[in-house]
Amino acid sequence: METLLKVDQIQKYYGNKDNITKAIDGISFEVEEGEFIGIMGASGSGKTTLLNCIATIDNVSSGHIYLNKRDITEIKEKDIAKFRRENLGFIFQDFNLLDTLTIEENIALILTINKISEKEIDKKTIEIAKKLGIEDILNKYPYQVSGGQKQRCASARAIVNSPKIILADEPTGALDSKSARQLLEIMEEMNKKMKATILMVTHDPLSASYCSKILFLKDGKIFNKIERGEKERKQFYNEILDVLALLGGDTRDVR
Amino acid sequence: MLGKLSIRNAKRQAKDYIIYFITVAISVALMFSFNSIAVSEDISDLSTMLKDFSKYITGISVAIILIMAWLINYTMKFMLEKRSKEFGTYQILGLEKKDIANIFTLENMVIGILAFVIGIGLGVFLYQILTSIIMNLFNQPYQIGITFSLEAVGKTAVFFFITFILVLWNCRRKIKKTKVYDLLYAEKKNENNIIKNIKGNAIIFILSLILMIGGLVIANGEVDKINANEKADYIVPAIIMLIIGVFLFYKGITSFLVKRYLDNKSRKYKKNNMFLYRNLTSKINTMTITISITALMFMLIFIGGNIALLYNNMLNNEIEMSFPFEILIQSNDDDFTKYKEYIEENAQVKNMYEYRIYYINNTGIANALKDTNFRNVASYGYDSVLSLTDYNKLREMVGADKIELQDNEVVVNTLKTVKGNVEEYANKSNSLQIADRNMKIKGIEDENIGQVSFNGDYYAIIVPDSLIEEISKEDEIVRNENERLSGKGYIYKLVVETEETTSEEFYEGLEDCMDKEERQVTEVVNGEEITYTIEVEDERVEVKGARTSQTRSMYTIVSFLAFYLALIFVMATATLLAIQQLSDSEKYKYRYDILQKLGMDKKDINKMILKQILFYFAIPMIIPIFIGIPTTLIVSRTVLSAITIEEVIRNIGIIFGIFILVYGIYFIATYIQFDRNIEEKR
Ligand SMILES: Nc1ncnc2c1ncn2[C@@H]1O[C@H](COP(=O)(O)OP(=O)(O)O)[C@@H](O)[C@H]1O
Ligand SMILES: [Mg+2]
Repeated sequence: METLLKVDQIQKYYGNKDNITKAIDGISFEVEEGEFIGIMGASGSGKTTLLNCIATIDNVSSGHIYLNKRDITEIKEKDIAKFRRENLGFIFQDFNLLDTLTIEENIALILTINKISEKEIDKKTIEIAKKLGIEDILNKYPYQVSGGQKQRCASARAIVNSPKIILADEPTGALDSKSARQLLEIMEEMNKKMKATILMVTHDPLSASYCSKILFLKDGKIFNKIERGEKERKQFYNEILDVLALLGGDTRDVR
Repeated sequence: MLGKLSIRNAKRQAKDYIIYFITVAISVALMFSFNSIAVSEDISDLSTMLKDFSKYITGISVAIILIMAWLINYTMKFMLEKRSKEFGTYQILGLEKKDIANIFTLENMVIGILAFVIGIGLGVFLYQILTSIIMNLFNQPYQIGITFSLEAVGKTAVFFFITFILVLWNCRRKIKKTKVYDLLYAEKKNENNIIKNIKGNAIIFILSLILMIGGLVIANGEVDKINANEKADYIVPAIIMLIIGVFLFYKGITSFLVKRYLDNKSRKYKKNNMFLYRNLTSKINTMTITISITALMFMLIFIGGNIALLYNNMLNNEIEMSFPFEILIQSNDDDFTKYKEYIEENAQVKNMYEYRIYYINNTGIANALKDTNFRNVASYGYDSVLSLTDYNKLREMVGADKIELQDNEVVVNTLKTVKGNVEEYANKSNSLQIADRNMKIKGIEDENIGQVSFNGDYYAIIVPDSLIEEISKEDEIVRNENERLSGKGYIYKLVVETEETTSEEFYEGLEDCMDKEERQVTEVVNGEEITYTIEVEDERVEVKGARTSQTRSMYTIVSFLAFYLALIFVMATATLLAIQQLSDSEKYKYRYDILQKLGMDKKDINKMILKQILFYFAIPMIIPIFIGIPTTLIVSRTVLSAITIEEVIRNIGIIFGIFILVYGIYFIATYIQFDRNIEEKR
């Protein structure tokens, strides 16, 4: 397998000279094509910041991030939008759907931004909606459907353009456990059947147990790394809990 | 407790409240400054010659109150919608609807009172500017200073608080009626479900076209009636048809566009159409109403402004036609010495000429005017006659060539606008019976020598000098109207051309030269003979300079008021569009943020913002242009006897230019601010 994403010694500071927050303090790791990577850590450990840096939504203070050997920290401001729409897919905790568009249009939106031909858009939209089980609600507006359905719509939007990597920030954060499980199964399918590379930030061990590899962050540093390998999910889940116990502090919050 | 909560929340929404506050304060300022003008002595002194002045003022006051009421109503409802989620949350926390309504009322009362005070302050300032502009227009000295009319404050307070309380009361009712769910989700809800119910939007669209065209056709017919001095009963229905037509048109066109762009996937997915149209249609009901009201306002401004300009042109043309020379004097006395002395002393004479106008029995030419606005001439029973020598001299004074006549020939000189009619008549009956002689009409001239009732009513017959003696005896001076109507005799005329135009004081001095004769009049009232004396002016003095300045000042004040009103209209509606766009920009910011995260180019985002704002500002203009132009043309037909079509078109251009300027400034400002709001912290 090829290395898709390479994060090389990145740091991210917030604040001024007198009061610096080291949100990320020297993180390096690699993601291979087809992996489903989880990033775990307590609240405030730097997960979102890391994801935003990879997503080119935020700039690193130092270090480099390579996607397919291209240094994305060096991309010029005017080329960033193009890079994002061609390479990245997003799933956010609060869905980030547009209230004014129907579910179908929300999915199609990313394709129109990528200037795909109109016929192709329609075909792809319906195809992905079927795969994610939301073809019945295509003509509804976001406020008319449940959170789980919204998040599936967001997932459809993230994958419909076949991005190199899908970035998900606490996608199950606003969902009940049943919807969360449904979503995770879908993401697993996206990863296994559609060969999507996914990088998911979460602080929920159940969500993390769907991943193939997990990085644990603490105070902006990588604290630990585990891989699922051929293990059962249940077993992997227990392993995650063990690491979290080691991480200490707010494991109660995590469960 | 409630008060504290409410103040804290008001602070949090300060940005929206500032817009709201400014709108209300500006409304108060506009209303107050106008009321101040209405009660100001400076202004009313100026307008003594304007008999309908108070009528105009009242009319405009009413219009301003309506606009302000609309603006306040709109902004308050807007604030209510903005805070609906917060109010919903309160309700979930267990607050009574009544308490929430009280919070809202309290906040608004505080804001209303503050805005009123600030608005009055602003209004004092605005009034000073307006007054000095008006005084400047009339060349009157005016000292800017703080004048403050309690009457105007009182009036403004009454108007404002009545409106304010009514609107507030309406909002309270709304709060009490609305369900929690609707409050919580008001912001997220889209209004486009309505569209789906309108299956027959094509029918609505066609109906609107029928109504508008029908209204125009009827109006056109009514103008014919007005021209023919008949009663025009269908003007109001025609206007109502136009108004309903405009509303339906906008209802129809929005759903038409939505259908066209959103029901067809290949169109929808093209470029960034989808996002843009959904943005626009998510508020379709609000939008339709705002747009059609805006459109109606613009139509009013457009048509009103055009009519004002048309009448100005007409007045100017009328003056030009009535006054080929600076001074016109008519007398039944051939002694003009007093006048001449005065004129020579007070003005620089270029040319001066004395002559006579003779009256003869109606020759039938008047019948030529049967189909014109001047048809009543036919009943006068006399025609006016000028000798060839006098006519040629007058022609020379206005810069035209001499003409010649055979002994049996005459020429008819007419007002430009009726020349065609007289020519048509002369083609049919080519000869006239004058003093028992058969005279041939040699031709029709239209030299402007004062054909509006000075040298004949709309036309005069020019005869060879030899014929004059047969027409009139030396002693047949016309002494009064009855003698003239009998169609014989003559009267003395003096016309003077001066180097420069004269003033009103000059005119007053000239009037004092007139002979005023005391005459005994005997009348039989209830079988009793009563004799009394009246002062009769047998002479007539008219001066172009004085008339011009009177007309000017009347026109200036009317057009100033009209302009003021139009400006308020444009500003009110443009403010409204701007408010709607800008205070929604937070919502839009969220949407555009998502687009940017998804990888849309900044350039494309800016283009979309421009398109969106352009749509809001441009759509309301469509109908006013398409209806305003034909309406102006129709209205101008009532005055076409005094104005050319080129002038009408020029007027349309001027009105349109001013309008575009003010509106354009608003548009650009809105776009820049909107872009800035979106850009903020992105
Ligand atoms: N824009 C910002 N300005 C200042 N500090 C920030 C900002 N964003 C995040 N931080 C800080 O950086 C640290 C990491 O934040 P974040 O990445 O959001 O954590 P997580 O997503 O793991 O909960 C926290 O201490 C947070 O307070
Ligand atoms: Mg986070």
